[in-house]
Amino acid sequence: MTFDPAIITAHLPALGMALLTTVWLWLVGLVASVILGLAIAVARLYGGLTISLTLGSFVQMIRGTPYLIQLFLLYFGGPAIGLTLEPFTAGILSLSVFGGCYMSEVFRTGLRAVPQGHIEAAECVGLTRLQTLRRIILPEMLVLVLPPATNIAVGLIKETAVLSIISVPELTAVVNEIGSETYAFVETLTALSLCYWGLVELCSRAGQAAERRLATFRFAA
Amino acid sequence: MTWKLFFLLVQAAGSTALISLAAIAIGVCVGVVVCAGALARNRLLNGLSRLYISFFRGVPLLVQLMLFYYLLPALGVEVSSLSAALLALSLCTAAYQAENLRGGFLAVPRSLIEAADMVGMTAAQRFRRIEAPIAVRLMLPSMMNEAIAILHASALISVVGVIEVTRMAQNLSSSTFRPLPIYAAAGLLYLIMTGVLAGAGLLAERRLRVRLS
Amino acid sequence: MTTPPAIRIEGLVKRFGAVTVLDGIDLAVPTGEVTCLIGPSGSGKSTLLRCAALLEVPSEGSITIGDRRLDFRTESGRPAKLRHADIRAARSSIGMVFQQFNLWPHMTALGNVAEALRTVRRLPRQEADARAAAQLERVGLAARAGHYPAQLSGGQQQRVAIARALALEPKLMLFDEPTSSLDPELTGEVLNVMRALAADGMSMMVVSHEIGFVASVASKVVFLDHGRVVVSGTPREVFARPRHPRVTQFLETHVDHAASLLIG
Repeated sequence: MTFDPAIITAHLPALGMALLTTVWLWLVGLVASVILGLAIAVARLYGGLTISLTLGSFVQMIRGTPYLIQLFLLYFGGPAIGLTLEPFTAGILSLSVFGGCYMSEVFRTGLRAVPQGHIEAAECVGLTRLQTLRRIILPEMLVLVLPPATNIAVGLIKETAVLSIISVPELTAVVNEIGSETYAFVETLTALSLCYWGLVELCSRAGQAAERRLATFRFAA
Repeated sequence: MTWKLFFLLVQAAGSTALISLAAIAIGVCVGVVVCAGALARNRLLNGLSRLYISFFRGVPLLVQLMLFYYLLPALGVEVSSLSAALLALSLCTAAYQAENLRGGFLAVPRSLIEAADMVGMTAAQRFRRIEAPIAVRLMLPSMMNEAIAILHASALISVVGVIEVTRMAQNLSSSTFRPLPIYAAAGLLYLIMTGVLAGAGLLAERRLRVRLS
Repeated sequence: MTTPPAIRIEGLVKRFGAVTVLDGIDLAVPTGEVTCLIGPSGSGKSTLLRCAALLEVPSEGSITIGDRRLDFRTESGRPAKLRHADIRAARSSIGMVFQQFNLWPHMTALGNVAEALRTVRRLPRQEADARAAAQLERVGLAARAGHYPAQLSGGQQQRVAIARALALEPKLMLFDEPTSSLDPELTGEVLNVMRALAADGMSMMVVSHEIGFVASVASKVVFLDHGRVVVSGTPREVFARPRHPRVTQFLETHVDHAASLLIG
């Protein structure tokens, strides 16, 4: 078995583009997931029983099925109800919904973990419910939520690979193309693995660094 | 959505269930070994185990599948798509389970271990009678979550041609041109299987409930 | 014309499901004076204080704060619906100090005290911070303004909590067992701040186990048991000449403890 790094270097521009595409997909999906997750969590906690149950059922459906099925449903099944999407758009949309539902569960736990006493103290000094949410509950929740949210973010990096199946030109798809052209599977798959491994490590380290900085806000005993 | 099509999907779901359960079982066993390695004092063993965990948690399952499917033949090892898929799934979940196991053992309160030492238990007795039982109960929820994750991940093995729910759904929807109801049905089957798995997990938790206040 | 009491509670009843925790309380805190609530656990004293702060909505009765009266049962007999805006308005002249301090961990001491001034009273940042600094000075913590709660001792945290309540210039201060979560050596600094407040003429309603403090600072002591006022009077009347067996029993456990501390 030979290993010829030259194959990789020869295709560096294409790989670079593909890597950027992957990172772009991930970042957009991540931001959308956080926003969506927060919206769902707040709506479920403060929006009344019907909203909570409806959103809850939707979240359970997303968490109870593979991401691939959700992607296929949107991309292949969409046209049947008039929703014809480009692979890229379908990818971002499905990633956002997928990530958003997992984030919403994490945020719900975090919101409920804010000590009731802190909320009462806010009420006693006269903050409205909205002000309490913005100034007290959300900031305190951030500390609690960072570890599991980082895990979800890492998971999203890996799910972007699934988009290769519907021909989105991200890292896995492009590398596979190169591999099947050159038959240099060893080199391409190694490069592919290392790219993702690196991205995941970076994301985990960033999450840990953020956790350390927020550690000054440990709840005083 | 005719009954015949649905029945085909249900049959394929049986394969999904079998493959997933096999991967879960193998994964736990391998995970125990890897976890032991990660907790070992031998630098080489420790390093290798940690590398293993880092790799299988850092690389997407899809890429791991391709690695086993394309690289093993290149090394001269002939594998069927099913074996490659099972290998990838098992080794991947083993890394996550190793972390869950490690987390469980780390979460056993120090005070309980000290109490065991004070009544004179040997390290082996303490492990068998105190640490292991408590650690298992603590790690049960995360192990259950991982089992569900593998069930979902099994959908990806459709890419290497293994016949399970997702592959069957792909075949059926391209032959009937009705993707929406077929993928929806596939989703429903996954939901049911997830529910069964989650229910089993809850039952196990309830039986083994322990509260560490 | 006499000044109305800082707070007047009439016929207050509070039920949690089938359990009646407060069974008809009549109580008034005269302006500028300190009323202390004492009693065994489960007597309802914390619930009474929380009702005064409107953290719990009473089942029956009325609370009059200053000249604002809130009735908790309408003529038709059904519980009144209180709007959040009404509750907030009623709370604007009350300050509350909790047993668990409840400082917000992501803000400094100054931030905690200034928060309501900025967000609720909408004061510009500089003015809010200046007033907050003045309150921290008042409780002796000006030097710790930039510290986070996790960096402060329990006594310091509680003093910041008092400053936070004082920042809004309340007419009545409520204290819910302010020293019960503190190590014994730290209770003194908090009690001294409370003593100074009382001397300045603040109307206060205090739930406390610190009998020594109660005896020396309170103008009125109210003993609660099983949700009812058993005895109410000056400290001398309640402590030196207890007539009710429950009061005697309660004091025996507490005075014994204090006495043994003095001897030992």
